[in-house]
Amino acid sequence: MLTVFEVHQEEKKVIKIEESGEYLVKLVGSGADVEITGSFRAIGKEKTDVTVIIHHQAPHTRANTTLRGVGEDQATVRFVGRIKIDEKCGDTNSFLTERILLLSDDAKAEAIPDLEILSDDVKCSHAASISRIPAEHLFYLMSRGLTQKAAEALIVEGFLAL
Amino acid sequence: MARFAQKHTTKYDPKAANSYEHGYSFSTDKYSYITKPGIRREVVEEISHLKEEPEWMLELRLIAYDQFMAKVMPPWGADLSGINFDLIRYYLRPTDTQVKSWDEVPPEVKKTFDRLGIPEAERAVLAGVKAQYDSEVVYGSLKNVWAKDGVIFLSMDEGLKQYPDLVKEYFGKVIPSGDNKFSALNSAVWSGGSFVYVPKGVNVKMPLQTYFRINAEFAGQFERTLIIVDEGATVHYVEGCTAPNFSSYSLHSAVVEIFVKKGARCQYTTIQNWYKNIYNLVTKRAYVEEEGEMVWTDFNMGSKVTMKYPGFILAGKGAKGETLSMALAGAGQHQDTGSKAIHLAPHTSSTIVSKSISKDGGRTSYRGMVNVGPHAHDSKNTVICDALLLDSISRSDTYPVDRIFNSHVQIQHEATVSKIGDDQLFYLMSRGITEENARKMIVNGFVDDLIRKLPLEYAVEMNRLIEYEMEGSIG
Repeated sequence: MLTVFEVHQEEKKVIKIEESGEYLVKLVGSGADVEITGSFRAIGKEKTDVTVIIHHQAPHTRANTTLRGVGEDQATVRFVGRIKIDEKCGDTNSFLTERILLLSDDAKAEAIPDLEILSDDVKCSHAASISRIPAEHLFYLMSRGLTQKAAEALIVEGFLAL
Repeated sequence: MARFAQKHTTKYDPKAANSYEHGYSFSTDKYSYITKPGIRREVVEEISHLKEEPEWMLELRLIAYDQFMAKVMPPWGADLSGINFDLIRYYLRPTDTQVKSWDEVPPEVKKTFDRLGIPEAERAVLAGVKAQYDSEVVYGSLKNVWAKDGVIFLSMDEGLKQYPDLVKEYFGKVIPSGDNKFSALNSAVWSGGSFVYVPKGVNVKMPLQTYFRINAEFAGQFERTLIIVDEGATVHYVEGCTAPNFSSYSLHSAVVEIFVKKGARCQYTTIQNWYKNIYNLVTKRAYVEEEGEMVWTDFNMGSKVTMKYPGFILAGKGAKGETLSMALAGAGQHQDTGSKAIHLAPHTSSTIVSKSISKDGGRTSYRGMVNVGPHAHDSKNTVICDALLLDSISRSDTYPVDRIFNSHVQIQHEATVSKIGDDQLFYLMSRGITEENARKMIVNGFVDDLIRKLPLEYAVEMNRLIEYEMEGSIG
């Protein structure tokens, strides 16, 4: 299922992605500005699979995309993000971040952040990371009297709050 | 031998040479042996027969041939529609006399030699005018030093003749012929390449360089290289050179297999500057055992299309892998490069650093894969891709894939794409530096940390080459 968003000239838009699926965000007018966020928590045998394509079709556009996912139990988290900047789209800034936190040994993660850049006057970057909750973070909270479960819950809550 | 060979040999036919589209149609009439263009079962059998190979190698070639015919072209990556397998000659054996004359070498290649300061003797070889570089005097003594320690450094064909058991044990084990269409093609028709064996605990201090190799075919279309670094040994192998490697081939499809045993270290440096009509489709992979370390340093400047993803399989506990990749794409070029990191064992770590520069409408792509298997707990991976676009008609892509099947890991990926900033240029120019020099300085700074990993003489040539490529690139 593909959901399409269009951001027009001088428009500012905030898009919140709430469920798995494919999303295409087109920045069609000069000065379009978009903030895309998505937080996901996959438990049991759930599969979270989110594809976001950010397509810059006009100059002077800006996009900031942040996807965060937590995988528990035997869940799978998959993020595919693609920034596409057409020719003659100068002065474009686009950033993509994919962060995945795994809570169990059986949880799986896949992160695919792509870039396709055909203009030169751009600032474009992406970052992806996949990790467990660092032991030090847990230790700190537990040394303050929290149980491990409570400490994990707190960290996950903080991680997903955007 | 000649009695059978006769059946399939052809005389040089000028008409056929004219229809040799993407090749650089130099006359090939001086070759002592030419197969008919096109690939057939008989061609594979014939190559094996001419080389007097053992039976198992012929079988391997024939299986690979069937796999090549059965496989489709990769549906992803660069545009390969310009390759016509029927027009390629799969085996040429040059005569000992000169093949081409110096006058035939294009002026831009000569000019680059001048700029890089390549010695006269080496120029002739690099331009393909001479089949071999007469290096007996200088490097003969080096060869003896290696031989004393038991280091084997031969062409693959000689290696197969002299050490058939060793070759049989490792050949095709990390890159099986069915790995992809081009590894199948290489396995079917390979010739040339290097065979290196470093015995236990031997530390080879001088880099082994392909063009120092004596009594061997110089560069091949379908090179096959096998490097075995035994326990605790170290070696640095250097392939190619900064000078344009002038060749009349239109397709270069090599396979490089490396075995790094327990506690061993191998660095493999490629400096690829093929002439700009060549499809360069190479498969390279290393199998790294416990505490071993593999370093790929991969510089791609030439060729029309390059698709190359040196990889390592970290199969032993604590194994390490590193890829340092640099690509420069000019007009009409597509450098589709990257790296594959496969973590199979615990406590393994890998780093991939890729820097690419696109100019004059060139296209660079980073394509990489990080795969952490279920048993690879406490593994680490970092991927950093930086791309620099020098003008508005060039293109840069990044296609990374991270597949993680164990949660006790640290995986990071970062990529940036940018151009030379106006503020950076302004700063340098305000200090009295011309725009051209300022641009060169910024580009050299951009790739500096990778170039520093090269042996000194290469680093110097590399810097000169980048400056040369950058010339007149002010838009």
